[in-house]
Parts: sequence; structure tokens; C-alpha cells
Amino acid sequence: MTPVATGFAMGTEFAIHTEGLTKRFGSQLAVDGVDLRVPVGSVFGFLGPNGSGKTTTIRLLLGLASATSGQIEVLGKRIPEDLRMVLPEVGALVEGPGFYPYLSGAANLHRLDTADGHATSATRRVRVQTALERVGLSHAAGKKVKAYSLGMKQRLGIANALLTPRRLLVLDEPTNGLDPQGTREVRSLIRSLAAEGTTVFVSSHLLAEIEQVCTDAAVMSVGRLVAQGTIAELRGVGGARVRLESPDRDLAIAVFSRFGMTVAEPGADATELIAAFGEKEPDPEVMVAALVDARVRVRSFTVDRPSLEQRFVDLTGEGFDVAG
Amino acid sequence: MKRTWLKWMPALAVPVLIASVAVAVPVAANAAVNLPTKTPSQVLALAAGEKVTALSGTLSQTSNFGLPEIPTTGADASAGSAIELLTGSHTARIFVDGSTKQRVQVLDTMAERDMVRNGSEVWLYDSKKKTAAHSTLAAGATSPPLTEGSIPTPDEFASKFLSSVDSTTVVSLGDDLRVAGRTAYNLVLTPKAGETLIGSVSIAVDSETGLPLSVEVFARSQEAPAFRVGFSTLDLGTPDASLFTFTPPAGVTVMTKTPKAQAPQTETPRNDTAKPTVSGTGWDAIVALPAGKNTARATSSPLFAQLTTSVTGGRLLRTSLINVLLTDDGRVFAGSVPLAKLQTAAAAAAATK
Amino acid sequence: MSPADRPALSNRSVLGLPLLASEISVLFRRRRTWAMLASLALIPVLIALAVRLTSSRPSTGRGPAFLDQVSQNGLFVSFVGLLVSVPLFLPLTVGVVAGDTIAGEASAGTLRYLLIAPAGRVRLLVVKYVATAVFCVAGTLAVAVSGAMIGAALFPIGPVTLLSGDSIAVGDSIVRSLLIAAYISVSLLGLSAIGLFISTMTDVPVGAMATTIVLSVVSQVLDSLPQLDWLHPWLFSHYWLGFADLSRQPILWDSFGSNLILQAGYILVFGALAFGRFTTKDILS
Repeated sequence: MTPVATGFAMGTEFAIHTEGLTKRFGSQLAVDGVDLRVPVGSVFGFLGPNGSGKTTTIRLLLGLASATSGQIEVLGKRIPEDLRMVLPEVGALVEGPGFYPYLSGAANLHRLDTADGHATSATRRVRVQTALERVGLSHAAGKKVKAYSLGMKQRLGIANALLTPRRLLVLDEPTNGLDPQGTREVRSLIRSLAAEGTTVFVSSHLLAEIEQVCTDAAVMSVGRLVAQGTIAELRGVGGARVRLESPDRDLAIAVFSRFGMTVAEPGADATELIAAFGEKEPDPEVMVAALVDARVRVRSFTVDRPSLEQRFVDLTGEGFDVAG
Repeated sequence: MKRTWLKWMPALAVPVLIASVAVAVPVAANAAVNLPTKTPSQVLALAAGEKVTALSGTLSQTSNFGLPEIPTTGADASAGSAIELLTGSHTARIFVDGSTKQRVQVLDTMAERDMVRNGSEVWLYDSKKKTAAHSTLAAGATSPPLTEGSIPTPDEFASKFLSSVDSTTVVSLGDDLRVAGRTAYNLVLTPKAGETLIGSVSIAVDSETGLPLSVEVFARSQEAPAFRVGFSTLDLGTPDASLFTFTPPAGVTVMTKTPKAQAPQTETPRNDTAKPTVSGTGWDAIVALPAGKNTARATSSPLFAQLTTSVTGGRLLRTSLINVLLTDDGRVFAGSVPLAKLQTAAAAAAATK
Repeated sequence: MSPADRPALSNRSVLGLPLLASEISVLFRRRRTWAMLASLALIPVLIALAVRLTSSRPSTGRGPAFLDQVSQNGLFVSFVGLLVSVPLFLPLTVGVVAGDTIAGEASAGTLRYLLIAPAGRVRLLVVKYVATAVFCVAGTLAVAVSGAMIGAALFPIGPVTLLSGDSIAVGDSIVRSLLIAAYISVSLLGLSAIGLFISTMTDVPVGAMATTIVLSVVSQVLDSLPQLDWLHPWLFSHYWLGFADLSRQPILWDSFGSNLILQAGYILVFGALAFGRFTTKDILS
């Protein structure tokens, strides 16, 4: 066990912090030396293709499985030693919802809530009701779960994670099985939770669904953490480029070089020009004004930022499974 | 991983704990008993002076005569019950209050046989056969034997040996014992050199009352006792009086026996014309039974062929403690003696006839 | 509903009584549980109907013990029902419930949520075991009570003849019946512990159920082999039929005590094994 050797003081700013987290199943390394840092108050996207070790990492974080080596701190406490103190403050949805099909949605939540020894019995009914309302399932509270659609079960799973106020929410693929409307609802739920101060750790293989809500993200690939940081950091500062359509190619190049930009590559045809920013990224309106002043006939002007998607394809060497 | 091993520790510790308790409890029960030193004759006197009049206790009896296991169910169930006493183990409860109130319960699986004596009234009850037999004893008579397969009390059994202690017997004392939670002197009767199969008889004599608590009979050919009867629990308080009143329950067949048939329901192979004769005394006495229809019936049983071996002059039922010779002409000779002595006795009896 | 509103963590409900109450209510809200209890209750009903509908009295000594007494005293229906259920039907249902304890939660996907809640692994094991024990009592009572009711409906009721030949009043016989039910419930506790342990070994509840039931049969087969005399007192099924000692006069408590000690031993051994297995297990279901 190596001591924590980072610039961050362990347990002060991170809701989740792992060092060299490794899980081995037989000869297969499911999680391989992962150093995860989830800042308190962030909405943290945990990304990676199916089978990249996301769910296994979550199981380790929640004490469901024990790590082969490495250290875990959740909410400043060690896992698995302090599991019983940590878990009441953590709500989680892990690898899809799991419910008793022969019980109603409300009865299921009631049942799982009794398992939390710290939860007060007196307010149980009210808390179940509130959680169901929050995910829009009040109308189906009395229905047996076997009659629920996949999306309803998913919502019920999220409701279970929200039974008591949490400091950390771990949501594994929360939008699985939801229609676009449901997905939007989950996103707005995540936003509102984050606004209340809850740290949300959300894993997904569908980048687009969570990209808009995340402040931070990490990318897993084949058991390893290949990137992590704020969304801006991940996109990369120098990644943006200008795409200009103009017959006045040489004039335009001259203007761009004044802004310290270089023409990276030829465009699709003779009228298209693509230029990368240098150290500074001037405002687009300033650049357009300069181009027009230099008598460049601007037919179109766009600032392209590389999508996270593109970054992740670069990092993981494969695209995300869009079909899901 | 250290944590993992710690979690499995209870699973290792519990069986070890149970094993050590399983070993320690019998050891503790047999922890050396140190009674005031007595001579064998003092212990004999103690046993002779026994004055226990009331008790309730559980008796267990085990036999290991070296016979093959006999199925006690199935087609041969009746034959099986006849030799029931010779194999396996049995449990009975006994309640005694004075000389005229007794109850013996032979505890069978899902069944029970009872003997209830209250004064001169005697009831025999068999829960399996649903029969109750009533008889009235003549004044002063002893209680009848319960039924076939009953269990002798250590008291009855010991008295058979103790009454015949004579010059052919060496009386000594073994280590003090604990039987049914009580301390006891261990009186050991060993036959002097003679041609008997019996190795020795151990009688546990209660140190307080002189009541025999257990009797073990050892065969010369075996390490383990061939026969043991003893109390597993014993309470010397007066049993509840209601135990000695018996009303036959509804739905059972009630039979009334005349006093003459002292042992109702017994089917010992004996008839009025065939009186047993005893030759010899002490340990190597031989009981002879003339030919009768009972023996003929017994020999026709297939079980008989299974249990006996063919020898000169008849067939032999060989056990570690008793040999029984059934001669070809139907006579029976039995004794704790080698076969040759039975054959000699058979030949001698035939000559005198 | 902000994190700050959360009450200070307390050690409330360390015993997990709300979880136990929930476990028992979930168990008895399952249709399967009621189906099993109904089947058990049906056994004495079938026995009583068979005796009622056949005009010939069963001959003494044929069929299960005491069957011949049923037509004279309805209270014996309970007793015969229990006698018939002990070797197979009760272990069967207890095997289903005990085998389902952990494996059932694992296969439904609820195990991970219970543990995250957090139920606590040891607490969950204890709660599951206690709920199984409650089912043992319920199963035994289902046979006893339905037997008494159908017996009272179809046959005369009167003083009950004990094995010793003594008769006891109806009230006393109810006390004895409850004692017998307690004896049988205790008898099933060892099997429940075995089932709980097996259930921690797998995520397939049917496998755990089948294994538990098979073990109950194996134990009884071994108990019937005279060659294995030395093993018999250690088999969890050894005293299963010893409840007959409660129908002697006076009651012979020896087998009750021996049974209690034996079952406690099984609970300790398999409880410790289940603890070792479940607290070190990776929950991957």
C-alpha cells in the first residue's frame, strides 16, 4: 500500500478519492490502478465503453466488492473500514434497478429504507412519497413492480437513491431504458440535486446524455483511467479551430497570422480554410471585423470546438456504443 | 488478505469448540471419583443393605453379543422381537414407590409398553397392539415380568449375580465410577478358572444407598461389554401417585388374566410339559430344555437357519456370552460355556433317559 | 432536502428490528409462501378425508402410526399430519425459504441495494435467519392447526390417549400439541442454518433450495443405516421423530434437550460458515 502521493490533501476536497485501485478476477484485471478524484460539489461524469470497468469500480466504491489492492476514500472516510458510516450518506443506483417484482413500487422503497438502520421509521412513509414524487412515479406507487416498464423501474431506482438526503449520489447508467423525455428529466434532476450541494457521480457509456450536465469527468478504457479533469480541461484549450469560407485565401491567411494562428490544413475545397488558434483565442467578432477590414469576402465563419465525443474516441480508441 | 482470513475464523473456531466440548463433557463426567476406601466385602454389605424404596429413573440397556444385526421390521418381525433383547439398545423408564407400586415403560419408537402395578392390581399396556391386560396378583407375589423384550433393572440383574457369589468367584473393586450423576463403587466379579464364556461382571454400587446403578457383563472374547444395563438418570424422590393408577383408554382391547398366568402375553418358548432342568452350578451351569413344539416352531423359522451354525449333534446359536445348542431331536441346551460342554451335557442327558 | 438537513447519524436500530419486520412482511406477502403454507395445511385435510371416506377402519399397525386413532379422536389428525410432514414436506418448504434467503435477493438484484442502504452484512444474515425460523414455526403450525380444525370438523373430539396409555383432557392435549409444534420447529432450525449458508454460496436460488432439500434427505438416509451408528447422534435429522417423547406420561424431555443442543450446534457451525462466506463475498449480482 503506497501512501497517497498527490498535491491534494486526502479527504478534504474530494467526495471520492482512490489511489491505485485494482480489482482482479482470476487472471483478468477488471480495474487497473485507478486514481479517481471526484471534487465535492461536482457533477462528475464517469465515462467509458461497456466493459471498461466502470461498474466494477462503483462496486468497489460502495463496498460491494473488495479491492485487490489500492485505497479508497469516500466522503473522507476509508472504504471498506468505515462503510457503515459512509453508506447512509450515499445514494446509489448500481447496474440497473433491482426490485421485488411482487411488491408495489412504494412497498419496495419502504422495504429498502428499513435496511438503513439510521433511517427514522416515523418519517418513512413521507420520505417514500417524496422520493416517488421527485421521479414522477406517484401515480404508479401502488402498482406492482412487475408491471413497471424498464423506464419506470429506472426511475424507481433513482427514487431509492433519494430516500434520505445524501451528500453523494452514485448513479450508474441512470438514463438506461429511458425515453428522451425521461432522459431530460434525469438531467434536470441531476442539476437540481447538484444545486442543493450534492455531489453527483454519474456513469454512462452514452456521452451525449450527460455531457451537458457534467462539470468534471473521467474516462475509463479497458480497466484503466485514461483521462480526468474538468470538462474544459478535457476538451483541451487549444482544440478550437476556425473554419472560414472565402475566395480570398491568401488575404485571409495573412489576417490569421496576425492573430498568431496557423492554417492547419486545407479545407474541403479551394474556398475553405481551417486555422488553429495560437496561445490566445480572440473573440470571433474581432476576427470577423479584421477579416472584413482586410477586404476578405467572408461567406461563412465558424469557431469549431472539438466535441468531447471526439476526445474520447481519441482516448479510448473506440467510439461509444451509441445504440446502447 | 488478512481481513478475509479473520472473517473465516469463527467457522474454524466453532467446530473446534464443539469438538472439544464433545471430548471434554464425557471426560468431566468420568472425572476421577474418589470415594472413601472400602473393602470388597464392605461394598457387598453395602449392596446387601440397600433400602431404596422409591425412585424414578431412565434405564438404558445395550447388548453386543456378536450377533448379526437383525431386522426388527418386515416379514420376520415376530421372530425379530423374540431376539430383540439380544441386539441393539433399549430405553425404559421406571418408577417405584414401595414394594407394591411400580411402573415400567419400555420406550419404543413411536410406541410404548407399560407395566403398572398398584397393590395387587397389574396392568400391561401395549400402545402398538392397542391391548391392555389386567390381572390380580396373589398377596405377597412379586411383579410379573413386563413383556418380552423388557429390560431388567440393574437391581434385579445384579442380585442374580450377587446372590450366587461363592468360592468360584473372585470379588474385587475397580476404579470408582459416576453413573447417572451419582458416585458408585465398582464391584467386579470374576469367575475363577472355569469353562465359562463370561469374563467378568461389573456392578456399580451407589456409594450412598448401595443401590446397583449399572451392571456390565464382559465376555472373554470381547473388549466392550456384551451386555449393559444401567440408569442414565435417577431420582430417589417419590414419584407422582397418579403414575400408578391406570385406566385402560377407550378403543383398546382389554383382556383379563387369571392370577395363575403370572406373565400375561409372554410367549417364552415354554410349555407345561417341558420343564427346564439345570445341571452344574455357578458360572458354568447349563440349562436343558426337553423337546417341545415351541422349539420345533422356532427351528422352522428362516431366521433360525441364518443365525445358527451346524455342529455335531445339532445346531448352535453362538453368542459371545451364551451358547445355545439345539439338538437334532429338538432338545435345547444353553449356558455360558463352550460348545463342547453343551455337547457333553446333551450326550449325558440322552444316556440317562 | 439538503445534506445539511440530515439528522446526525445515530446508532438507532442497531438490532435491525424494522428490517426484520420488513423481512417477515415481505416473506409473508409472497404468493409462494402462502402456497407452501396452504400445501402443508392440506396434508392433514387429505388424511382426514381419506379416513372419513373409507369405511373400513385402518388396521392397527398399518400406515403411519396413530392413523387408526384418527376416526375415534379428531385431535390425532394433527399428530398424524405432523408425523407425515416431518420427513419430507416440512424440510421441503423450509429448504425453499432458507435456500432463497441470500441467493433470492442476489438474483432479484435487491441484495446490492440492501447492502448499500446499508443493511450491514451480518445484520442481514441474522434477519434472514430469524425470518426463516419464523417460517419454520408458521409451517409447523399450519399443519397442526389445520389438522386440529379438520379433525374437529369430521371426527369426535375427546380425551387423548398418550403412548403410555394414560388419557389427558382436550385442554392438556392442546398444550402437548403446541409443545410438539415447538419441538418440530426447533428440529428445522439446523436445516435452516444449512440452507442459509448454501444460499450465500450462489446467486441461483433454485440451486440453493435443491441442495438444502437434498441434504435433508441424505441426512435421513444416513440416519437409517445401522452401519453408521457412530454418526447418527451428529445428524441434524436424528431427533426429528423424537417428538413422540412428548406424548409419554410423564413427558420425557431428553430428546427435546438433545435436539435443542444438536440444532444449536448446527446453527453455530453453519452460521459461522455463512458469516465467513457472506462477509468476504464480492456482490457481483
